[in-house]
Amino acid sequence: MRSLLSFLPLLIPSALVSATEYHEQLNLRPLPLSALLASFNFRANTSIADFDAQNFRLFPRSLGQILQYAGTRELHLRFTLGRWDAESWGTRPWDGTREGGTGVELWAWLDAETDEEADEKWLTLTNALSGLFCASLNFIDGTRTIRPVVSFQPEGDHPNTTLANTRLLHGVLPHEVVCTENLTPFLKMLPCKGKAGIASLLDGHKLFDASFQSMAIDVRPICPSEGECVLQLEQTVDMVLDVDRSKRPHDNPIPRPPPGHDLICDTTKPYHKPDDACYPIDHLRGQDWTLSQIFGRTMKGTCPLTDAEVPPVCVHLPSSRDLFASQGAHEIRYPNNDSLRCYHIEQGSEFTLVLTKSEFPIEGGEAVPLGIIKPETPVLYAERSFTGHGQEHGGVQAILTNPGDDSVEFVYMESLPWFMRVYLHTLSARISASSPNTNSSADLIKEIYYRPALDRARGTQLELLLRIPPRCTVFLTYDFERSILRYTEYPPDANRGFDVAAAVITTLEPKAMNIRTTSLLLYLPTPDFSMPYNVIIFTSTTVALAFGGIYNIIVRRMVGAHEVPRTAMKDKVLAFIERLKKKKSAVVATTAVGGKASIESVSGTSEAK
Amino acid sequence: MSTTTTMTLQSKVGVFAGAALLRFILFAAFPSLPDLLTGRVEISTPVTSFKRLQEGLFLYNHNVWPYDGGVFHQAPLLLPLFSLLPDVKTWPIFTAVLYILVDLLSAYALLVIADSGEAGQSKLYTSPRRAKRSSGLLVAAAFLFNPYTLATCIGRSTSVFTNCAILFAIAKALSGSPFNAMVAISFASYLSMYPILLLPPLVLLAYDRQSEKRRIGSAIQFSIKTVLIASVCISLLLTMSFALTGNSWDFLARTYGIQLTLSDLTPNVGLWWYFFIEIFDSFRGFFLAVFWLHLVIYVGGLSIRLRAQPLAVLTILLGIFAVFKPYPSIADTSLFLAMLALYRHLYPIMRYTYVASATMLYATFLGPAFYHLWIYAGSGNANFFYAITLVWSLAQSLFVSDLTFAVLRDEWEVERPEMVGKEIRQI
Repeated sequence: MRSLLSFLPLLIPSALVSATEYHEQLNLRPLPLSALLASFNFRANTSIADFDAQNFRLFPRSLGQILQYAGTRELHLRFTLGRWDAESWGTRPWDGTREGGTGVELWAWLDAETDEEADEKWLTLTNALSGLFCASLNFIDGTRTIRPVVSFQPEGDHPNTTLANTRLLHGVLPHEVVCTENLTPFLKMLPCKGKAGIASLLDGHKLFDASFQSMAIDVRPICPSEGECVLQLEQTVDMVLDVDRSKRPHDNPIPRPPPGHDLICDTTKPYHKPDDACYPIDHLRGQDWTLSQIFGRTMKGTCPLTDAEVPPVCVHLPSSRDLFASQGAHEIRYPNNDSLRCYHIEQGSEFTLVLTKSEFPIEGGEAVPLGIIKPETPVLYAERSFTGHGQEHGGVQAILTNPGDDSVEFVYMESLPWFMRVYLHTLSARISASSPNTNSSADLIKEIYYRPALDRARGTQLELLLRIPPRCTVFLTYDFERSILRYTEYPPDANRGFDVAAAVITTLEPKAMNIRTTSLLLYLPTPDFSMPYNVIIFTSTTVALAFGGIYNIIVRRMVGAHEVPRTAMKDKVLAFIERLKKKKSAVVATTAVGGKASIESVSGTSEAK
Repeated sequence: MSTTTTMTLQSKVGVFAGAALLRFILFAAFPSLPDLLTGRVEISTPVTSFKRLQEGLFLYNHNVWPYDGGVFHQAPLLLPLFSLLPDVKTWPIFTAVLYILVDLLSAYALLVIADSGEAGQSKLYTSPRRAKRSSGLLVAAAFLFNPYTLATCIGRSTSVFTNCAILFAIAKALSGSPFNAMVAISFASYLSMYPILLLPPLVLLAYDRQSEKRRIGSAIQFSIKTVLIASVCISLLLTMSFALTGNSWDFLARTYGIQLTLSDLTPNVGLWWYFFIEIFDSFRGFFLAVFWLHLVIYVGGLSIRLRAQPLAVLTILLGIFAVFKPYPSIADTSLFLAMLALYRHLYPIMRYTYVASATMLYATFLGPAFYHLWIYAGSGNANFFYAITLVWSLAQSLFVSDLTFAVLRDEWEVERPEMVGKEIRQI
């Protein structure tokens, strides 16, 4: 029971790595209340020899050529939306290893002798992937790229000689909004292109309506102990759907209370009166759904290329719950795990699943959730937020809680934008006062790896090795200063704020897993965008006034006020007034004679002007 | 005679002790005040902030080169100096003592400058008003109890070191030791770069006040010698920094480069930051050059026009730098005001003292208020603070030009003694 989620990848027997093979599997797992986790996993292998000969069959040619061109040894790309609610949903699917921070996250091991070469290849890779996945990956520039030291380890099998000549680069785009245009290329990379098999369930409307969704693409070389090395492409989609929201009709999406006669009431309540007072207990009967309701469509058979051994759909449910499959599907139960049932599906036949409510309310409570397998408590809870107020100084506070009985060792990594000026000397980790052993705050941080930001060139990279004693909450805080940018460096929606990428937590003990916090929204002070001209004029005027004043004082000659010679200017003005007077009398004299004089007077005034 | 000497000595000790005590009380009674003032943009600029110094120190002590980052922009030699002090978080008193000492040293240098009588009577010029010039004690007290100086000291801005070095350079030049003056100005230039522009008037001052024993008659010979001393001293400091930062010249770009290119646009009381936020990218380089040229251009003109009074040139230049340098703060204003106090005998012929000081007060009070409206309350925008920095700069430049006028009129009245008190014009 405890290790159920980690059991997920075991279903696909990793020992059976053959040169070319493909398999896919959908795992459904109801979570508390109306949440439902759907994990899609697609795995394609191709032998390294085939790959090097550009002999693509299951491996998509578009991606393969990019990887070859950019000298990529191992690639991990993530598109994520929403937040995994660890408090109610428990451990993350795949232990968080197939998940990214909000937006787009990319890290890869590139063949490069020098850092400059790695940067060049990284530029090629991000730009090519940007085109392939219709995402703004080309905006992962030097300021958003870091070189993690301890947080990421290669997942594939690399010979030590190759690894010595590779560079790990990590880039993140927290502002990117993941949407349908990223899903379409994702599906196109599958051998069945989303036309058959479990991929036919992936619909953009439902996927991006989920409370949490993460699309992952992993490419890594796998070398089994015997046999030749293969290159593995693994595509994963994890989504937490809200069943109630999914079941609402498309044309009438506003939630409404059910009519009175449909309510199931708790008749044991003393205030219960038919048609008047009712304590609804409908939710106590657990979830009910059909596959087509939650995904908006039925599953179109299986992909003909998939490995027939691996059941395409598995559901994690207590054995007491009733689950019906459509005809032609064959249910498998596992003797060692009675809460798991899987289905083999005939090619070409439509497949659906129907989960019905239990007849009677299930005895629920704190300990036993209603009709689902109790989510496993994660090794570590992490949340992060900004502290302070105003747009000048600020602080970051990460609250890390170890709920278990073993101490947890992990690496906390942050990739921060350069305009957040971090003051590392203010970094502190302290154990909350309510924790059992509060006296060991001093040695929480074992190691710090820090690379400070450079203005407009690179961001801050901070990696901390921490160890949290059992049942303790640790507050990790540091101060930063918000810098003010040039007005052209602000995005059009400057007052929305700037996204700060999620912190990545990699636990080392008691087991390896990943946790990502949510991304943050950083408000920077903004100048007035409407008045560059005014500022240039005002400042220049001030400078001119000061310079002019001092220049005049230095250069001019001093004389007494009574010694000032009558200036020529004054004479000119007086003469001009005299002339005007004369003209006036002349005009008065000539108006009686004819129109010619008035033209003259007009030209006379313009001359005077 | 001896009683007056003891009296002045007593009052001097009293002023210095009082100033030190006041600072001690402020440091001790309000433990959060130093950090509050350190965070103020009026006091701490990117190149003088104590918080950034602490960050640089932390990185330096943890084997990360502080110049490989975008936070620390101060001179490398400050790092070992502050490493010697105990940690400021646990023992803030040591840092406080250092800053108080530096302030007292600056006041002592001012005392020497004032007592030398240079403000009223230089080698080439004697002011008819010199009898009324302020005593050294008054000048020192005006500096020590100036709220701007106090705020700078409590805010632990590193510009106090520059100010102290500048004042010592002037004091040493006046007391006839050009070598020490050059060493001091080299330190100031090394710390903040802009004091190098004070070199020409300082050389003139030192030339005028040479001691009779080791006199160099030729002005050219003297200036070559002093400039050589200064450049050797600066290169020595830079070489030491080079060795200190792991044999790399990176620190040049991070310390002086940042002042030349203004890549850190943190608001301050000067004119540059908002201008270079709003300037169009294609004109950035041009206007940087223009602004620096504008800063440099005063040196030659003033040194020639006011050749007879090099100290006045230094005072006016310090006033100009307090307005127009890339990252000015109230520390620079406090230095200018301290030097201005030397010219008390000229106050009667200054025309706008009331307007300028009222405007400065106005900006002093409205500046923090408008900054709060912009950054914290969100009910104002950047233009509020920008407008007040314009007012502040105008008020200061009014002071500067008024002082220039007064100095020149004082000179002119020597030729025309009958014009004293009469209205004059400039043509």
